[in-house]
Amino acid sequence: MPVTTFKIFRYQPDAVRPEPFYQDFTLEHEEQLTLLDAILDLQNEQDGTLAVRYSCRSAICGSCACMADGRTVLACMQQVEDLKQWSGSDTVQVDPIGNFKPVKDLVVDLDPFWEKVKSVKPYLIADGPPPEKERIVPKEAMQRLVKESNCILCAACYSECNSLAADTEFVGPAAFAWGYRFAGDIRDSRRKERAKLYTGPHGVWDCTRCMMCNERCPKDVDPRDAIEKLGGIAFQEGRDLHDAGARHAKAFLLSVRHGGKLNETMLVPLTNPLKAPLDLPFAVKMLRKGKAPSPLPHKVKRHDEVKALVKNVKETI
Amino acid sequence: MARQFAYYPGCVAEFSSKELNATTKALAPMLDIELVPMPAATCCGAGDIAEAKPNLYLTLNVRILSEAEELGHDVLTICNVCTLNLRRANKLVKEDPRLLEQVNGELVKAGSRPYSGGVDVTHLLWYISTEEGLAHLEKQGPRGLNGLRVAPYYGCQLLRPSSVMGFEDPDKPQSMERLIRALGGEVADYEGKTKCCGFPIILAREEVALKESHVALAGARDAGADCMVTPCPLCHLAMDAYQRKAESQNGTEYNMPVLHLPQLLGLALGMSTDIMQFKRHMVPVDGVLETVGV
Repeated sequence: MPVTTFKIFRYQPDAVRPEPFYQDFTLEHEEQLTLLDAILDLQNEQDGTLAVRYSCRSAICGSCACMADGRTVLACMQQVEDLKQWSGSDTVQVDPIGNFKPVKDLVVDLDPFWEKVKSVKPYLIADGPPPEKERIVPKEAMQRLVKESNCILCAACYSECNSLAADTEFVGPAAFAWGYRFAGDIRDSRRKERAKLYTGPHGVWDCTRCMMCNERCPKDVDPRDAIEKLGGIAFQEGRDLHDAGARHAKAFLLSVRHGGKLNETMLVPLTNPLKAPLDLPFAVKMLRKGKAPSPLPHKVKRHDEVKALVKNVKETI
Repeated sequence: MARQFAYYPGCVAEFSSKELNATTKALAPMLDIELVPMPAATCCGAGDIAEAKPNLYLTLNVRILSEAEELGHDVLTICNVCTLNLRRANKLVKEDPRLLEQVNGELVKAGSRPYSGGVDVTHLLWYISTEEGLAHLEKQGPRGLNGLRVAPYYGCQLLRPSSVMGFEDPDKPQSMERLIRALGGEVADYEGKTKCCGFPIILAREEVALKESHVALAGARDAGADCMVTPCPLCHLAMDAYQRKAESQNGTEYNMPVLHLPQLLGLALGMSTDIMQFKRHMVPVDGVLETVGV
């Protein structure tokens, strides 16, 4: 039977040793064993004080996300032997998920996460009194929301979000996946309000597109794609100039329409018309290094085709 | 016979980071590659157009792929962001014939050639770090990097999402490490090499972006690197052009020269520094040139 050493993050602020430390546990186990079952074995047989949050053991409740050898995983979905194969080592390091404060061992304080989820109003807000029977929705309309509907709020996406690491107030990927789940629902009557709610400070335009959320999500929700779709909804709802992030995207559209290629020099004042003049010393440095190209449109061949596409392609988000 | 690619340098390499485009063009014959121009290719949208008008993003990118298909070659990129946007569009339409039909309908209506899903998109790093690519480098009898200590910086979008990119393990990439070692350099390893440089939001949220670039810049510095190397001109702008700003905001010094990947190859292969145009960098690379012996 395989033998594995688990190097586990320990933090027991009320204990004799209140500082965080790592503790090694050795476990002989069957070939097939999930990381969660391994942790529970250790808790049952070696150290009853080892704290871990879990419930369903079936990748439904979303409670047991943790870091294994530096990658966020859902412990109940993760085979120990696969981790060892990936790392090439018989030792597996287990840490609490990132971007949260630890409470005890592998348990973190999820309150900021829940507050952000609540902030996007993750429920249907329909107009008028409820109908006598259910609201009938075409299959195609619900299919557009399938991925986001699969979110189990495990916070694996939040754990390694690069935007959150730099800005703790960023609303974050899971909350926005839920935001799109309802902003994109044809029964919801608050699409315009949601577009405004989601695109303020620390909102949709603060996503740095590191793609970590799509990489880590154990349910293939692809939260970054949901954030992108919320940007599309914001544009459709007329919020294309309300934030520097939106104006940045708008500048790309203008570049393509006028020339086909990006006009980097115009991107700066179009994104931040008030701040750009204050940044003149930096602009001069860029100019002197040849990094401020001509502000005239950069034309591609057959640009008439591009103009026609910009004019004709209809958005269906 | 040289391997031909439809060459898609991307907007940043064509304009503000011309040194990257010039170096890549000079490097191509050394690697036995012929870069076939794509004169009708637009901007890929860099994620911004996808964020504003998703259908337009897809159509513009499929139009780029269609031009490559007409030329009869796979696409070669030198930018992480272009690579992701083009590969994503390619995957979407290749996996969904109905979607491809809709996009082609728009293309034909605009007078563009429809696409039949016949090309692949690859990044120069991917091509050159394979056994075939490394063999081409070997043939050049590289002068070498003389023990230069290089911190590879991958950034995000050449690695993630792996379902779209898929060239190497996004958490343990080794392509640049292989190249650095093959060229006689030392690898300075550090945790931040796969973190975000912050560039996509640097104009709209500069403070947040500079906190992000700090992770990689400080990581490379603390690993004792002589320089960083990146396969992406956007990462290069964040790390090089904005480095002094990051130092000022984060209250620390990095003094970290940042090379474009083709410049590192060029240095190892003895390319003229005039071609590589290091004078266009914000952070001087004198120490790097001295170590390599240029």
